[in-house]
Amino acid sequence: MSSRATPSASASRSDPSKDSQRYTLNSRTSLAARQNYLFGWTPRSISGLDDLLARKGMLGVQGSNQSSKDILSVIDSLKKQVAVERCIFIKKRMVENNEKLIGVTNHVYTLSKERSNSVINNTEKNLDLLTKRQRDAFGMLNGLDLTNGEKDKNGSQEDSYASSAVLVGSSFGMKNVVRPIKLPEVKKLPPYTTWIFLDRNQRMTEDQSVVGRRRIYYDQNGGEALICSDSEEEIVEEEEEKREFVDSEDYILRMTIQEVGLSDAVLDSLAQCFSRSPCEVKARYEILMKGEKDAQCEKKGSTDDKTQMDDSFFDKDLDAALDSFDNLFCRRCLVFDCRLHGCSQDLVFPAEKQLPWNYTDEENVPCGVNCYRLAQKLESNAIRSSPVHNGLEEKPVPSSGSAGDQISPRKKGTSSSVGKKLKSNQSESASSNARNTSESSESEIRPRQDNSSIHNSSSPQKAKLVGKCGVHKRNSKRVAERVFVCMRKRQKKMIASDSDFVVSGCVWPRDMKLRSNSRKENEEATSSQRKVKTPPTRKPKKKELPAQDSSKSTFNGHDEPSDEMVKGPPEAISDETSKKEEFVDESICKNEATGDKSWKTIEKGLFAKGLEIFGRNSCLIARNLLNGMKTCADVYQYMSCTENKLSNRVGDGTNSLVEGHSKVDYNDTMGSELRTRSRFVRRRGRVRRLKYTWKSAGYHSIRKRITERKDQPCRQFNPCNCKSACGKQCACLLNGTCCEKYCGCPKSCKNRFRGCHCAKSQCRSRQCPCFAADRECDPDVCRNCWVGCGDGTLGVPSQRGDNYECRNMKLLLKQQQRVLLGRSDVSGWGAFLKNSVGKHEYLGEYTGELISHREADKRGKIYDRENSSFLFNLNDQFVLDAYRKGDKLKFANHSPDPNCYAKVIMVAGDHRVGIFAKERINAGEELFYDYRYEPDRAPAWAKKPETTGSKKEEAVTSSGRAKKLA
Amino acid sequence: MAKTAIGCEPTVGSLAPSKKREYKVTNRIQEGKRPLYAVAFNFIDARYYNVFATVGGNRVTVYQCLEGGVIAALQSYVDEDKDESFYTLSWACNIDGTPFLVAGGINGIIRVIDAGSEKIYKSFVGHGDSINEIRTQALKPSLVVSASKDESVRLWNVHTGICILIFAGAGGHRNEVLSVDFHPSDIYRIASCGMDNTVKIWSMKEFWTYVEKSFTWTDLPSKFPTKYVQFPVFIASVHSNYVDCNRWLGDFILSKSVDNEIVLWEPKTKEQTPGEGAIDILQKYPVPECDIWFIKFSCDFHYNAAAIGNREGKIFVWELQSSPPVLIARLSHVQCKSPIRQTAMSFDGSTILCCCEDGTIWRWDAVGAS
Repeated sequence: MSSRATPSASASRSDPSKDSQRYTLNSRTSLAARQNYLFGWTPRSISGLDDLLARKGMLGVQGSNQSSKDILSVIDSLKKQVAVERCIFIKKRMVENNEKLIGVTNHVYTLSKERSNSVINNTEKNLDLLTKRQRDAFGMLNGLDLTNGEKDKNGSQEDSYASSAVLVGSSFGMKNVVRPIKLPEVKKLPPYTTWIFLDRNQRMTEDQSVVGRRRIYYDQNGGEALICSDSEEEIVEEEEEKREFVDSEDYILRMTIQEVGLSDAVLDSLAQCFSRSPCEVKARYEILMKGEKDAQCEKKGSTDDKTQMDDSFFDKDLDAALDSFDNLFCRRCLVFDCRLHGCSQDLVFPAEKQLPWNYTDEENVPCGVNCYRLAQKLESNAIRSSPVHNGLEEKPVPSSGSAGDQISPRKKGTSSSVGKKLKSNQSESASSNARNTSESSESEIRPRQDNSSIHNSSSPQKAKLVGKCGVHKRNSKRVAERVFVCMRKRQKKMIASDSDFVVSGCVWPRDMKLRSNSRKENEEATSSQRKVKTPPTRKPKKKELPAQDSSKSTFNGHDEPSDEMVKGPPEAISDETSKKEEFVDESICKNEATGDKSWKTIEKGLFAKGLEIFGRNSCLIARNLLNGMKTCADVYQYMSCTENKLSNRVGDGTNSLVEGHSKVDYNDTMGSELRTRSRFVRRRGRVRRLKYTWKSAGYHSIRKRITERKDQPCRQFNPCNCKSACGKQCACLLNGTCCEKYCGCPKSCKNRFRGCHCAKSQCRSRQCPCFAADRECDPDVCRNCWVGCGDGTLGVPSQRGDNYECRNMKLLLKQQQRVLLGRSDVSGWGAFLKNSVGKHEYLGEYTGELISHREADKRGKIYDRENSSFLFNLNDQFVLDAYRKGDKLKFANHSPDPNCYAKVIMVAGDHRVGIFAKERINAGEELFYDYRYEPDRAPAWAKKPETTGSKKEEAVTSSGRAKKLA
Repeated sequence: MAKTAIGCEPTVGSLAPSKKREYKVTNRIQEGKRPLYAVAFNFIDARYYNVFATVGGNRVTVYQCLEGGVIAALQSYVDEDKDESFYTLSWACNIDGTPFLVAGGINGIIRVIDAGSEKIYKSFVGHGDSINEIRTQALKPSLVVSASKDESVRLWNVHTGICILIFAGAGGHRNEVLSVDFHPSDIYRIASCGMDNTVKIWSMKEFWTYVEKSFTWTDLPSKFPTKYVQFPVFIASVHSNYVDCNRWLGDFILSKSVDNEIVLWEPKTKEQTPGEGAIDILQKYPVPECDIWFIKFSCDFHYNAAAIGNREGKIFVWELQSSPPVLIARLSHVQCKSPIRQTAMSFDGSTILCCCEDGTIWRWDAVGAS
């Protein structure tokens, strides 16, 4: 089968378009070479190609109109060639494998030889019995005549007739020598399928599904195999599978089209040949041609620039970098790759945010060599005599920047960008994206940074303050004032926050003015900007400042009237202030000039996050988020700059969408902070009444659901993404579930389950709203629920003196009883209790795979046949299947008179099945519970003697062994 | 199964016999009434190359092949539980070289018999259901692996009686495991197949410390930290029905379903991304009338040939490593009509044994070979 090397006088049209039908005697080699080059698929045997080329030569002469017969013959010869190739390939692989295998088996052979030798040497005296028997048998054989072997002429192959004589030769020695040795009986285990222990439920992974898959069930008793599948589904599955084009198909495709040209007829026959559709073939051909061109180009270029891949992580913005985090991290369980809630969950951003980290003063110590405190001390004592104050006390500095600062960006957010509205609550992605783009604009803004502080001070009351005393004093004083002002501001804000709409309404006109204003200002500042853009030119900037100042003052002038709160004129912006401001900024900007550019997108994103988490604490931000990237001093500088820029930007109102996004970071933090506070205030004010009404409302509906549940299963909870208190469109409300702490809606949402505020009752009776609603208490939600740590043996005092721990968190805390797995007294396996427990004690959780009802139906078909099912109805969406994954409680048997009961309980947003003691159970007793099969479906052994048409809340199934019981 | 693409077709062996080697029936033994499910030569210890054992019902019997077609019974073991029905056996040995017979069946208990002292050495309880196949690691013959109806494959140390690893769980088989085999040279690698129509390749490389630990374990075997291997390195869908026998042929795998053929294929696993990979079906060895499950083939020591019986009592002997495959011989005998559950080829392939559903053992010897 080697390649026929006789150089036939083959002719070839190497390329129809370029070289017009050139006849070459020895073109085979060149063509082959070209193929190698183009296709990367090396035909070693060219016998098929020879024919092809010969025929091709004729075709070439004939012209371009080939009959389908020609096409087919071309394809056929190519196919033949490919087939031969394949044979050779396989042969080669077989030989390679064989060579390797010979070495392996020889090695094993020597091993077995060594084994026998060593044993012989060691135990020459006491021969093992197998060897002894072997020798005995051999001895006996030699003693006897070789009668057996001679009878064997007739046994043969190929169906030849064999006499029965052969059957005589037989078990010689059998009767005499061999006495059966008894293997003592070992008690076998009750049957089970290997299962994996789960301490919490898991959602089924896609590959575990049996839906649409063909399953063959082997019936042990009938000895027959049954196919369990739904035919339609099965067909769909198998047809959908798309086959990739393999190299050889590509080769045939290329060669055919190259030889006979591209036409529908060709495509049709190719499609037939590959058993695909013609368009599929055509698409593939186009891909190939493209790839070929690329390959050629690459050859020409012959340079590989693949070094771009480096550092990809740092080039991304925070959102992109967090992509995997967003996809893989479960915000409910706080783990990566959560098996219960799965990956790529809908991101729910809470409408309320937590306050930034509240740090204490004892952290006044510099955080390290690069702490900004040290850096500042070194740099400029004069200007920043009390920078520590600045950093620490002035926590909400961004918010200290004026009402305009706080309100307007948010207004912009809501008014100008629809996109932001969508993401409004946290708008992380938007902000980090925006950061990216806004960088460019920031450099322009920098010259106007001095604006910012002035603008800050130009805000209502502060303006006055600053005007009166602050301005002439040293910077540190100003800082202190700012803090003061900002506090006042916040208070005011709290009051104002409820009337956000009004404020925004007011802001509108102001914004407009600002815009026009800033346009002017821009014009004025263009010259300065141009210069400042080039970092080294520091000094010119100073000179230009006056001009800017003037623009500022006008700008402020415009600003004020729009703000009703402001009474006094802006005034007070003396040259002195501006100078000082400028000076401060200068010192900041000195580093920033280089620093700003060296801040990568991701670093900026991280910084913004840090600001959210820690507030204005560069030490913590640097340590926790930018470790190894930026030092504390860097962060501090950047913080000061951005803060200035921010307020500036607000002031100048250039108001690009992008900027609006980036600002949201700060403002949202602030805004939410305010919101929480205001809510707090509100709560304080009318807590009691409100809470009761909410609670009773929620309580009522839940109880209703409990009563309904008899015929209607509980509903699966999915957190809603409502931005404000849930309305009629709330997903939870529509679904009929309560909002939980995982929902986006604020805590004040009326649909929220309010938890309980039990104290002495310890949430153990239906008087506890949680208990009554079949929920576990949640310390995040309930008011008085707590548990102590340890049992006091370690000398740790219990947290509270009252000793009224919540007793309704046992699933959450896994406070379960020790369950033992053993041979059931009834049948098969059974679950036993290690220690005795009292009535209603929680014993453990029935865990398993969470599967859909559809899936459960499919699986159930097989389980029912085996009469062994571990399915447990959980809620309207899911069924628990403990067949392959679960815990020991899956082995608890059914009894019509059980000592346990099962209950579906909502624990932190998830339904879980708890098994509880129905009565007092002594140590070592076997556990039984009523599987509560639906009356019409229950197997005979699970049917109750009398039909109690009562609680059918959950259909429990388990090992079919219990069937022997009834 | 998807259609094979052009250029990926396997080479299919021709059923025309080559008469490369001729075999003759030289003996037949009726062992009992119950079906015999397994027969195996001892390839572990060179002293016992001519010793083989069969299992059927509750009985394990050891024989010796002598010259002239003589079969001498050497030992016989009977489980006291009459309901036991052994399905499989494998030769192994203790670390001191004592020959062991490891058998398992419907009861799910693995019996380790010390053939050197003719006593039960250990019984492994743990499988939740019947055991369909046991294989021995030739490079470390005190390691055996068992395939069970409980959907797991377990690795045992027969010396210490420890269940080292359980291959089951999230990525495990979804139905009975029918067959399992150790890779001949890669000690970490096994392949298993079963009623879920898949062949799974597992690696125990990451768990090898546990294997080593099992040799030095002095505490109770039940206290050993048995590990679950939940994810195979590769799952191959080569067949569309039960896969009841698989064997490594070097780095390739021979497997059979109920489609009247043995398939040789190459698993192309990717080291970086376990679980993914492709298969390349290289050769097919047709075996007519072999469409019922639980028919296993066997190879000689050097994997030159494989012998497989069929539903009608015929044996097909294929030359494994030639391409295209060559049918060495087709063996049949008028009185051998019941399904052949398993065959055994002697060290050099000169003797072929088969055990049948009707409880008979047939011995075929190559003509011209002494």
